[in-house]
Amino acid sequence: MIRRIGRWFDSRLHLAQPAREALNHVFPDHWSFMLGEIALYSFVVLIITGSFLAMFFNGSTAHLIYHGPYRALDGVEMSAAYQSVLHLCFGVPAGLLIRQMHHWAALIFIGAIVVHVARIFFTGAFRRPREINWWIGLTLLVLALSNGYFGYSILGDLLSGAGMRIGYSMMLSIPIIGPWLAFLFFGGRVPVDVTIPRMYGLHIFVVPAAISVLLALHLGIIWRQKHTNYPGPGRTDHTITGSRIWPTYTAKSIGLFFLVFAVIAALGALVQIDPVWIYGPYDPIAILPGAQPDWYLAWVEGAMRLFPGVNIYLGPYLIPEVFFPGILFPVLFFIVLYLYPFFDKFITHDNQPHHVLRHPYEQPFQTALGCAVFMFLFVLFVAAGDDVIAVATGTSVVTIRLILRILVFVAPAVTGIIVYGLCILSRHRHARGLERALESASAEGRLISGENEVTQ
Amino acid sequence: MSEGEDREARKGAWLLMMFALGWRMVTGRSGKSRRVTSAEAAGPRDFPLPSGRDADTETQAVTSGRERWGTLLVACSLIAAIAAGIGFLFIYWTDGGNKLLGGTLALSFAGFGIALILWSHFLMAHREATEPLEPLLSPEEDRQTAADDFCAGARDVKRRSLLKLMIVAGAGVFAAMFVSLLRSFGAPIEPALYQIVWSRGQRLMTADNKPVSIHSLKPGDSVTVFPEGSIGNDHAQTVLVRVKEQFLRLPADRADWAPMGYLAYSRVCTHAGCPVGMFESQTNLLLCPCHQSTFNVLTGAEPTGGPAARPLPQLPLYADSEGLLRAGGRFSSIPGPGFWGGQQ
Amino acid sequence: MFISKRPAGWKTFRLALCALVLVPLVSPLAFCRQTGGSPSPNGAAIFNRRCAKCHGEQGQGISAIVSIAGPNIQAVHNPGRAMMAVETGPGHMPSFVNVLSVPEIRAVSYYVTQHLAVIPLQGGNLAEGGTLFRTHCAACHRTAARGGALAFTGINAPSLANYSAPLVAGAIRWGPGPMPAFPPSVLSDEQLNSIVKYVTFVQHPPDPGGNSLGYCGPVAEGFAGWIGVLVLVIFTIWIEKGGRG
Repeated sequence: MIRRIGRWFDSRLHLAQPAREALNHVFPDHWSFMLGEIALYSFVVLIITGSFLAMFFNGSTAHLIYHGPYRALDGVEMSAAYQSVLHLCFGVPAGLLIRQMHHWAALIFIGAIVVHVARIFFTGAFRRPREINWWIGLTLLVLALSNGYFGYSILGDLLSGAGMRIGYSMMLSIPIIGPWLAFLFFGGRVPVDVTIPRMYGLHIFVVPAAISVLLALHLGIIWRQKHTNYPGPGRTDHTITGSRIWPTYTAKSIGLFFLVFAVIAALGALVQIDPVWIYGPYDPIAILPGAQPDWYLAWVEGAMRLFPGVNIYLGPYLIPEVFFPGILFPVLFFIVLYLYPFFDKFITHDNQPHHVLRHPYEQPFQTALGCAVFMFLFVLFVAAGDDVIAVATGTSVVTIRLILRILVFVAPAVTGIIVYGLCILSRHRHARGLERALESASAEGRLISGENEVTQ
Repeated sequence: MSEGEDREARKGAWLLMMFALGWRMVTGRSGKSRRVTSAEAAGPRDFPLPSGRDADTETQAVTSGRERWGTLLVACSLIAAIAAGIGFLFIYWTDGGNKLLGGTLALSFAGFGIALILWSHFLMAHREATEPLEPLLSPEEDRQTAADDFCAGARDVKRRSLLKLMIVAGAGVFAAMFVSLLRSFGAPIEPALYQIVWSRGQRLMTADNKPVSIHSLKPGDSVTVFPEGSIGNDHAQTVLVRVKEQFLRLPADRADWAPMGYLAYSRVCTHAGCPVGMFESQTNLLLCPCHQSTFNVLTGAEPTGGPAARPLPQLPLYADSEGLLRAGGRFSSIPGPGFWGGQQ
Repeated sequence: MFISKRPAGWKTFRLALCALVLVPLVSPLAFCRQTGGSPSPNGAAIFNRRCAKCHGEQGQGISAIVSIAGPNIQAVHNPGRAMMAVETGPGHMPSFVNVLSVPEIRAVSYYVTQHLAVIPLQGGNLAEGGTLFRTHCAACHRTAARGGALAFTGINAPSLANYSAPLVAGAIRWGPGPMPAFPPSVLSDEQLNSIVKYVTFVQHPPDPGGNSLGYCGPVAEGFAGWIGVLVLVIFTIWIEKGGRG
């Protein structure tokens, strides 16, 4: 049967040789190589659930009066967008589940991307010849972050309205072009009716299409260049060792897809996310404290909260205080990330193609720097929730902010120093371990080579 | 309700069992080692694609025990997955709650996923394979030939430098056409960005369209007001507070802006544009709940804490002959978050 | 002869890194808890024993025919004022400062203001209450009434999750601490009833989506999302390492 189907396709597409090559493609076995797949499969979940949601969401700011099963908003004036979300949550079978899964999938998608980027960064997988994929991957991260923001902003509840307004203020703060850019993007002075339809179009079509194309490119390049591998006996820059795609790797990968789906479904079932009905419809006069973005943008929000209120003028022109933490900081951060392969080349004087990764401790400086940056981002992330922490711990938000303003410098420095020390320690231990192994090997009169049986 | 709890308890038991099985997998207590050495799997050193998959090279004795175990485990998880899937269908068609619906969905998918992975662990030979990585850089002659082909083709195009120039110009025009389309998305920044709705003589109205008189508030009270005829205008929203007159420390040029201790400030934060909704009468501070900036109303809403850097624009006030509060002019600056060229 | 596939230092390094990542990840989740409590002495019992003789069991007052007439105290919304009265004994009322302990005075004052102080708590429109709550209260207490941070004085707006309806109504009228008072000129009795109704509703909202995470918003959701990522990472470790014996 398989042969007959194969023959049918092969006679039309000449597929036998490529198919055979594909089935025998070698993919290395290591759990950290599956982190990107978590992101990939979360994206699949996002597409599936998002398609469902798009059939019900109405991206319009037309005003209407809600009458529906959620009686605490019965008779309240709201936008059509918000009304359609309420209908989705309370009136559509499985609607709430799908919406919650979509939101959780978004959080996990970006979380998995971050973990994946961290793995690439700490193992030096961005080195030649994989710089292109590093840049594509970072672009995917930027697209994912912006699409998260769009999705968060279109629902028409008080929280998303606050988010949209803060985003507008950030864009407005860019020197010289800020006002034009903000009016171009938001379509006027926020809140304005055209923003939600526009963001909806970006959220469900433009950005996902761009993500899909870049994702295909990302995977295509991995296929072409083949995967990296961890150092070890028999691991060289000229070979790749692992399992073949068929059948073991296929089974594992599809299994992971189901597990990603399962975890997202479990979160969607058990943990309530973004309860828009509690926040109420957006009203430009009303506001709520604790208006945070989702976690992946919270680092920017945290920077905005910790940055001091300073007025900076260029001649008669104002550079608003929001610009530095809200725009300049994230832009610089991503520029540094994009340029990091060059920086690495510069400090290691190494421009050779690499297929074997380097352990984090082999580059103590890079590892320490990376950990310090992660700690920095984490403190900013906490700072974005400083008011929530203040309420939960019963302390003053002013105190907490003061502590965080100190921690934001101290914690990364301490982390960097500790990690640097750990790297040096590990490097010594590794060197000693290798020496001992060499001694015992020579004592037995054997040579270490890739042919030796390896036991863990 | 008890039925639901019962069902959940059963699900919990399933979950626990799954975890127990998973733990056994991770700790590897079941089955025996059967790693195939790389030398065995890789075959000859010249790395051909394997010439087809021949029978398992392992000893039958080790395999059968593992296989029996594995088959049992895979079957268990598949049964769980199918049962949970049927449960999902039942709950979906009977409009069950979100927890059960999502819980069965999650269990069903988890069952399938775990089954596939157990299958790969127990019922597939784990062969380590090695493949060569060809150098990505092509040989010199290949690159040379490609470049030559390109140049030869380019030579075949009859050269007309004027035409080439026009092609470039055409591309430029195309780009300009596409970029210009962005105009449709924008909106003119003037006058919207610089707009101040308030003008001299406008009465202060509350959200329910009542005028505010000099007797409306006690010292320490506050209310949100709008210009007459623009109730609900988010850009013109203003917070009116009353303080004891003797505490006022306004700049000298604003001395007559606060009749009887009434002060009016823009309610849009100068930091990120959130409504500055709260007035606290003991400290005389206005607070923006978004980023916790505070503004002292006594000194002209100068920021006293938080990330905001500029004071809230103040609206001069006066009381007319009937004792109603009216705007004595425009805001002292453009309300809302700061921007380049926004500080006149 | 054994040579570890991974170099010897790797394990230490990995453990340390795990600890570095895990500790800050997990610890903040513990924050999202609601606090609240009521004074332990039984205010109702004390009131019935000490006060009801004059003020009546419902605080409605005893008519002046009897010599020990006590006034209606059903409009006392402010526990501070009630405590002051119990301690100082205004007019004919005796001082209880030597009779009752401080916690007992507090308890009886809370009993008076929470259970006897009568703002006619009936009627009210839930949805209108929600709108009013978002306009007047949510700026401090947040939309879910779980409290909010205020940078004024270091005093946070408390969570209303454990407050009884009469106390909420009283607090709106009297304005405890830095909270502004909302006299009938700002919020009518009808509107106040609507707000109280909404607060009572939002203390136990339906939560159709599952665990509410204490209504902490995106911060708590972010931590939960990261737990999901962590679970998936553990799954990948199992996928690659499990079952190999």
